[in-house]
Amino acid sequence: MAKRSRLRVRAGIASTLLACGAGSLLFAGGASSAVPTAASGSVLAQTGQRSLHNTASLHITARARAAGALKATDSAHLHYISASGSLLYEEGAAVGTLPGSMRVHFNVGATLSGSFTIYTRGGTITGHGSATPHGSGVYESFAGSLVVAGGSGHYAHAHGKAGLYGTFNRNNYALVVQTVGTLHY
Amino acid sequence: MRWSSRPWARSTTKGSTATRTKAFSGSKLPPLLALGGCLLATCAPAKSVAAPGAHAASTATLSAAFTPERLGGRTTLHFGFAFSAPAGQVPSPLTQIELRYPNNLGISLSGLGLATCDASTLQDLGPNGCPPDSIMGRGEAYTGIVLGTTPIRENAPIAIVRAPDQEGHVSVLFYSEGSTPVDTHIEFPGILLPANSPFGGVVSIGIPLVPTLPGAPYISVIHLHATLGPIGVTYYEHVDGVTLAYTPKGILLPKTCPSGGFPFAATFNFLDGSEARGSTAIPCPDPPKKRKKRH
Repeated sequence: MAKRSRLRVRAGIASTLLACGAGSLLFAGGASSAVPTAASGSVLAQTGQRSLHNTASLHITARARAAGALKATDSAHLHYISASGSLLYEEGAAVGTLPGSMRVHFNVGATLSGSFTIYTRGGTITGHGSATPHGSGVYESFAGSLVVAGGSGHYAHAHGKAGLYGTFNRNNYALVVQTVGTLHY
Repeated sequence: MRWSSRPWARSTTKGSTATRTKAFSGSKLPPLLALGGCLLATCAPAKSVAAPGAHAASTATLSAAFTPERLGGRTTLHFGFAFSAPAGQVPSPLTQIELRYPNNLGISLSGLGLATCDASTLQDLGPNGCPPDSIMGRGEAYTGIVLGTTPIRENAPIAIVRAPDQEGHVSVLFYSEGSTPVDTHIEFPGILLPANSPFGGVVSIGIPLVPTLPGAPYISVIHLHATLGPIGVTYYEHVDGVTLAYTPKGILLPKTCPSGGFPFAATFNFLDGSEARGSTAIPCPDPPKKRKKRH
């Protein structure tokens, strides 16, 4: 679900118009501060710095339906906070496309499954996922998938799917998580 | 050798140490069939031991316990199976066990099975040839056969070791070694699979048929008891070039007890095609007593 907003699209001189029309935008490897924009009506992009404002500007003021898609690659290093039975609660820093902090509650059994919340500058992203552990020894790897089910702030309507990979340290329960997928919001 | 700063490794349970030590001392005994197996003078001729009706329909009971049982704490799981048959007979040989354990049981957080032992190592060298950090538990099986009309019983120690994953699933190997009267050792795999609530997983164990004498029946399991946890298990870690011994943490119990206790269930399949089921629940521990206020 996208929100309606008054859009002003700006881009650098060297940049190109990212997208237009009703489609969604794809920011590969972008940062969370990158504001995804799209307009369902005519789109004018203002190019250049302010010195070029009058010479090469494309300007719009239109009510548009903004829908973003962020191809995100993130990783998080989580540390143990508490446990009960096979349930673990961990948190740590996340870096990559959506930097911030991450908290997870997950069950360590025949499969790994749980829920997560990513706290970013633009809001929170929540979801759940599951993965199958592989290997043995102190470090156990896993691979699976996650589903983004919602969020708050900028990501209030976030949804998407992603691959879920990582390792689990069976000594100190430290978790390294990598996610690769597309976030729609 | 120094001891780790982790909890100290304790000696095995009183009374069972000697048996385990002897059984796992590393001296390998030849396979049963190579030597004819039966060492007792009471062995009956093969013709008569193969008589039909030696096995009877089996009933199974399942038992389980935690030691200690403290919610939110670490524990060792004790589990046991027992099979009954009419007097003078033994149950049909087991071929498959599926043991379901409760949801939210922190087996994967136990620190057990940090190393693996493959089947060939276990076969050739026994548990003593495996990395110490692969030992996850120990136990004992009480087996039997009926030769003619003579029931013969045998105790065989069991070791449970962590094995390399099988088809993407966490895997363990069970190793059992008997010496008297039947001289044999067997190993069989168990694979950890997901299970539906209220269970957290199922250990699927395929049990090989253990021959005795040519034409004689296979060995039957009468009862089995094993532990999964740190009791009697010592691990080692390398810190600053020094090897330190420690006791693994143990299975982590949840902070709350499920209604009705911790449920276990098992399905047993036998060579004669029959199936038996057993279930039990470890009762919730009594809540800690509140201290009386002093006035």
